[in-house]
Amino acid sequence: METLHYLSIGFGVALQPENLMFALMGCFIGTLIGALPGLGPANGVAILIPLAFTLGLKPETALIMLTAVYAGAMYGGRISSILLNIPGDEPAMMTCLDGYPMARKGKAAEALAISAIASFMGSLIATIGLILLAPLLARFALTFGPAEYFALFVLAFATLGGITGKNPMKTLMAAAIGLIIATVGIDLSTGTQRYTFNVLELYEGVDFIIAIVGLFAVSELLFFIEEKAGAGREMIKVNPLKLKWREIVAILPTTIRGGLVGFIAGVLPGAGASLGSFITYTLEKKIVGKKGYFGEGDPRGVAAPESGNNGASSGALVPMLTLGVPGSGTTAVLLAMLVSLNITPGPLMFTQNAELVWGVIAALLVGNFMLLLLNIPLVGVFVKILSVPPMYLLPIVTMVAFVGIYSISHSTFDLYFMIAFGVGGYILRKLEIPLVPVILGLLLGPEMEKNLRHAMQISDGDWSVLWSSGLSIGLWAVAIIGLLLPVIVGPILRRRMQAAKSKVD
Amino acid sequence: MSKFNDRVFGLVMLVIAVAYYYGATQFPVPFGGSEAVGPETFPKLLAVILAVCSLYMIVKPDADNPWPVATTFLELGIAVVVLIAYALLLEPLGFIISTMLAVGTLCWRMGAKPVKAYLTGLISGAVVFVLFTYGLELPLPLGLLEIN
Repeated sequence: METLHYLSIGFGVALQPENLMFALMGCFIGTLIGALPGLGPANGVAILIPLAFTLGLKPETALIMLTAVYAGAMYGGRISSILLNIPGDEPAMMTCLDGYPMARKGKAAEALAISAIASFMGSLIATIGLILLAPLLARFALTFGPAEYFALFVLAFATLGGITGKNPMKTLMAAAIGLIIATVGIDLSTGTQRYTFNVLELYEGVDFIIAIVGLFAVSELLFFIEEKAGAGREMIKVNPLKLKWREIVAILPTTIRGGLVGFIAGVLPGAGASLGSFITYTLEKKIVGKKGYFGEGDPRGVAAPESGNNGASSGALVPMLTLGVPGSGTTAVLLAMLVSLNITPGPLMFTQNAELVWGVIAALLVGNFMLLLLNIPLVGVFVKILSVPPMYLLPIVTMVAFVGIYSISHSTFDLYFMIAFGVGGYILRKLEIPLVPVILGLLLGPEMEKNLRHAMQISDGDWSVLWSSGLSIGLWAVAIIGLLLPVIVGPILRRRMQAAKSKVD
Repeated sequence: MSKFNDRVFGLVMLVIAVAYYYGATQFPVPFGGSEAVGPETFPKLLAVILAVCSLYMIVKPDADNPWPVATTFLELGIAVVVLIAYALLLEPLGFIISTMLAVGTLCWRMGAKPVKAYLTGLISGAVVFVLFTYGLELPLPLGLLEIN
């Protein structure tokens, strides 16, 4: 009952005309971002954060817009998977398997419509899951002390590479780099200057928004230049849509299964949307068995991964909203937005900022309907924009990133900093060191240190306090499993995903 | 497959870890005496983690990703120089002119025809300028185009 009460408050916030408008805008931009290869959701949301700031939006409006962008990007990823056989973002990879063959058979419009419906179902199921699970988890998280939080942060880093991650040591290194950058500046509790080298601009520390935009947007530009992918690829023409009710009904069970599995994969640490869509696809193949023609354009093969990855993306919001610990790159960027709005993420947010949290959740539901409406009739518009070659698109995106960063503080120092982060990001990506842990380190660094301090003050300098309660031992155990599992199970899973992918090429 | 990249990077990070640790030992003792966890504890912990990871990378490096050939490297260099020049010239030249030059050059180097490239730069710059200055009331520098 309490949840329903809060949800109605949330709808009150989400249905305000201004918020509706920004949600619609976010949905549109998000679909676009998702559709464009080389402009992933994390990247896209990162570029929009400074703009949301300079617009002077209210916290809930800004967050509603960015969450809509996030949800939209998950919808958009499928468009380039189906038409170009290039996933617009990583989780959309599995959609290529049956989406592209379907499009080649002259059923591109049907594939796009089915995937939109599947995305809608996946999101809907997962958002309902979020509404049910988040308040419970938030209440549970209230029992966490500083020692548990410290262990939770370690867990977040340990599982961030995901089960499919290649080298857990590189994830750890990336996290350490991020945390180290976060220590630059004046120490909050003692006022000591740390690693500022007497440069005035460094006193306040490194602004993580500049770092995020640089790491994602600028390094992406450099990668496109290196791959000489400026001209883009040939696209399949979209035929007029001929979808029967019967065909929609036929995929509904698939989407419900996909949404559920996806949601669970999204909530669990270390799984994420890519694994979510992989599991749903494999599961569907098993369930349908020989009656299906997976890999040759089976509509269920389009519906399963799409509902899975949309379910996972909404599920990934659960740990971000309730614990303040994101499990994916994009939720980390959303967290950056929260932190810079001076909102402390975590369980208290559900009581202290109830309007904001529930407004965002209600906006997810509203946005999902908007996305469905946007994505079926307006798919032609997105296809048009998709045909703009990257050689025009990426420089313009870079320019938008410049404007965003410049308009925060009107200082060119920030721009140099952003470029430096871009070059650094390029080098890290070349060495296959993941960028998301760097960002998470930058974001969580201050909180992590604060919790360590509190725990040690309570215990009077006894380090064993960090693993003294049952809960914290559990968290440490999961963290260790999270680091070891990729080494054991990772190679098998990765080989299977690779094998599934290479069948298409 | 050479394994040069990871080793070099690991070595660089190891040096940074040591320097970072040394830096942490040099912090002045905070006012009111030191506590169990001072400003230096967390950085010291991080330095150790970074050092362990660096050593691991040096001992067990992954195979290298191929680095781009020299001409591509030149293109990357040009792109970075263009970005730095963009930041440098944003205020003196103004937003529209510097955007035309920067976006135009990037489009051109990525394979667009020069005329189309610089036209893209000019139009996108002008559109964003108008949008920001009049739509959002966030003035961007006008630079050379300013009429006194």
